[in-house]
Amino acid sequence: MINDVRNAVLAIVNKNNYGYITPADFNLYAQQAQLDIFQEYFQLYNTQIQRENARTSGTGYANLRQISEELIDIFSTSATVSKASGFYPVPTDCYLLMNVMFGSRVVEKVPMNRIALLNASNLTAPSVSFPVYVGSGVVSGASATSRISVYPSSIASNLTMEYIRYPRAPRWTWVTVLNGDPVFNASANDYVDFELPDSDMPALISRILQYAGISIREGDVYQFGQANEQEAQQKDRS
Amino acid sequence: MAYITQEQYYDNNGVNPQDANWGSYQYISLDDIVNNFMLMYQGNHELINNINRYQILFFAKRAIQELNYDALKEVKVLERPVGADLKLILPSDYVNLVRISAERDGVLFPLTENFQTNFATAYLEDQNGQILFDQNGNALSPQHSELELARLNGTAPSLYVNPLSPYNGQYGWNIDDVWYFRWGIGGAYGANTETANVNPVYKIDKQSGVVNFSSNMSGLLCVIEYISDGMENGNDGSVKVNKLFEDYIYAAIKYAILNNRVGVQEYIVNRARKDRRALLMNAKIRLSNIHPGRLLMNMRGRDKWIK
Repeated sequence: MINDVRNAVLAIVNKNNYGYITPADFNLYAQQAQLDIFQEYFQLYNTQIQRENARTSGTGYANLRQISEELIDIFSTSATVSKASGFYPVPTDCYLLMNVMFGSRVVEKVPMNRIALLNASNLTAPSVSFPVYVGSGVVSGASATSRISVYPSSIASNLTMEYIRYPRAPRWTWVTVLNGDPVFNASANDYVDFELPDSDMPALISRILQYAGISIREGDVYQFGQANEQEAQQKDRS
Repeated sequence: MAYITQEQYYDNNGVNPQDANWGSYQYISLDDIVNNFMLMYQGNHELINNINRYQILFFAKRAIQELNYDALKEVKVLERPVGADLKLILPSDYVNLVRISAERDGVLFPLTENFQTNFATAYLEDQNGQILFDQNGNALSPQHSELELARLNGTAPSLYVNPLSPYNGQYGWNIDDVWYFRWGIGGAYGANTETANVNPVYKIDKQSGVVNFSSNMSGLLCVIEYISDGMENGNDGSVKVNKLFEDYIYAAIKYAILNNRVGVQEYIVNRARKDRRALLMNAKIRLSNIHPGRLLMNMRGRDKWIK
């Protein structure tokens, strides 16, 4: 899909000889656009839940909640993590930690300001039957990573983390230059296509056009992309 | 929790303790209750959403505790000998008493509670009647108060009732298993029949966590029946409740949450409260096991001839 998106973007941008977008720039805009749309999935999902509760949504082909769920499900994955220095590291590509599993038991997330109170209560103190975890971050050199502490501390075996990952950064790869233009190469080792479904292709084009419009300082391109996107959002929410 | 096979049920697949699963089908575990509630009663389209599991856990345990206090008939029984100190330390999970019995010659005799206290805290005093204090300003106490000494030494007067004795109903002293009386003649008119009993009597000292017995309990085996709160000493994996109360537990959790939440309409809270109450009554009726066969057995007693 990435080549189709690029061709569409270039066709629109070059229509009036506004300018040319290099592969490197395109890859940057593509990554940003994909992230924007990915994050909107969660907003959209919440909107659909609210509409269902207000009884203004339908079932079957009108089940927009299911569509939103399936979009997010594309990015659900899991990883097994081991305890190190008292903590379990969160996978670096984790966007939203859905479940932490200790065997078949769900480890519940609790806010840091609650853990002391929980531990002090006879009735709610974490146990092997009802374990909990608290998230924290650690800075090491130039990088910062997330990790969790699991209670009770007697739990030391591996955990399974089920989470929604970030989409991988798309990468349009090329091999040779023909007539001054690079030629798309889908066989390159570092080639990464968009992970969003084809239905989001117009949204991707609109987003990339906005970034490209700012880059080449063409208000028309930016406004075209923005108008397209707003129209699509209007449809989603109506 | 998954269903277990019959082999698991009867002999735990040969693993000790082999009786671990006997009768387990009557109960639903705390684990299942919390899991089922999270699954079925909370969510985006339910009355309750965005709730933490530890909150469910708390209210589930509170509901189980309340059931154990009165509705459930989960009576625990512990036997322990009573020594010369005439004390029985309350069981570690004791909440309230059902009955205390003394075992004598293989027969259990239910004991009555002494309405007169047989323990007290005392303060040491000087010859002028002034209380003595330690360096921290706390009053000094002897190991035993006079009241306790009298009981431990068997010098405390008590109601002595033995239908074969001429001293029946008289106040007396039991010293080394020999009874002494203030006077030995006259009828036992006005004896307090409520406590007139040849068996030892007891008084529970809740603050100290012991049962204090009268001196004639020394050397006897005490059987205490009591109720606990069902929390199994904090072992969440062992907490369970009779299945007849399963729906009540869900209703109790639901009510507790809705009742504490901001912005929940009063009619929803009321509905939850009524649900909870109705389900508790249903469960109590079920647990009482009233059925025609049992009633028939009771009704047979009506034709008994009273001579």
